[in-house]
Amino acid sequence: MYNFLQRLGGITSFAMSTLMALLVVISLTTPFLPSNPTHEVTLHDVRTTTGRMVDPADRTSRTSEYARLTFDVDADLTSMFNWNTKLLFAYITADYESPGFDTNRVVIWDRIIRTKRQAKLRLRKHHNKYFLRNYAKTFDGVANANLTLHINPVPYVGIMYDKPMVAIPLTIPRAEKARA
Amino acid sequence: MDFLRPIFESGRIDFKGQRLASSMTTTLLSLSGVAAFCVGLSMQQLSACFYTYAAGVVLTYLAVLLPWPFFRRAPMVWLARSSSSSKPAKPRPVDSPNEARNAFVEDVSDDGDTY
Repeated sequence: MYNFLQRLGGITSFAMSTLMALLVVISLTTPFLPSNPTHEVTLHDVRTTTGRMVDPADRTSRTSEYARLTFDVDADLTSMFNWNTKLLFAYITADYESPGFDTNRVVIWDRIIRTKRQAKLRLRKHHNKYFLRNYAKTFDGVANANLTLHINPVPYVGIMYDKPMVAIPLTIPRAEKARA
Repeated sequence: MDFLRPIFESGRIDFKGQRLASSMTTTLLSLSGVAAFCVGLSMQQLSACFYTYAAGVVLTYLAVLLPWPFFRRAPMVWLARSSSSSKPAKPRPVDSPNEARNAFVEDVSDDGDTY
């Protein structure tokens, strides 16, 4: 610390270390910030049909059973926006058990919420964005199905984690043509 | 880059001043970190946190980098040269490290007394 350059180097290096400590403290205290989101998911209708997997017009591709849902979502997620929230990733999954596999999870809808104004969700009779199709190409033996809304808060500094919000039961009927 | 040497190697301060400068950097930077966290948490804005931290770092630079007078309160007092009584001693060749400890060395600093 005896001349200008020494003091410059010493101050800058300690400033960087303190900045690192500040970032660690911010990321560690973020999960303890209070938040009370309200959420509600209602299911209207589930229909199942069979279709071709890759190309509907190609008769050589395999056919599998697809389920289409209609659902409502009512959620107020504005309290989940704190100083360390970059965006919220909301997604709906269908979880079920099938013969051979204990847990199956299919994401059927998602949305990126960037501002507080977008965090008030009011969806009416939405369809699933992505296909709900079993890995085994039929829903044979599928039981205990649930429809779950998850929220992933993505922070600026810290670790992303998953918050499952609400789970409602779901029954997936078999398609008429695929009754085997 | 030799023309930059007088700029970068200037600003000397005495030993008590160096200890004061070191403790000042520690306290000022830690306080600015704590203040930045509190300001950001209360305003719920991450940018406010980092702006206050940057302001604290700039304040630390201003307070410690320049050789203020309060860093030079206790200057080193060197003993007077004893060359008035005798000629400057030639460095004697020594045979072992033990004898080198007793050999008389006139000036230990590499640029003289530029205090």
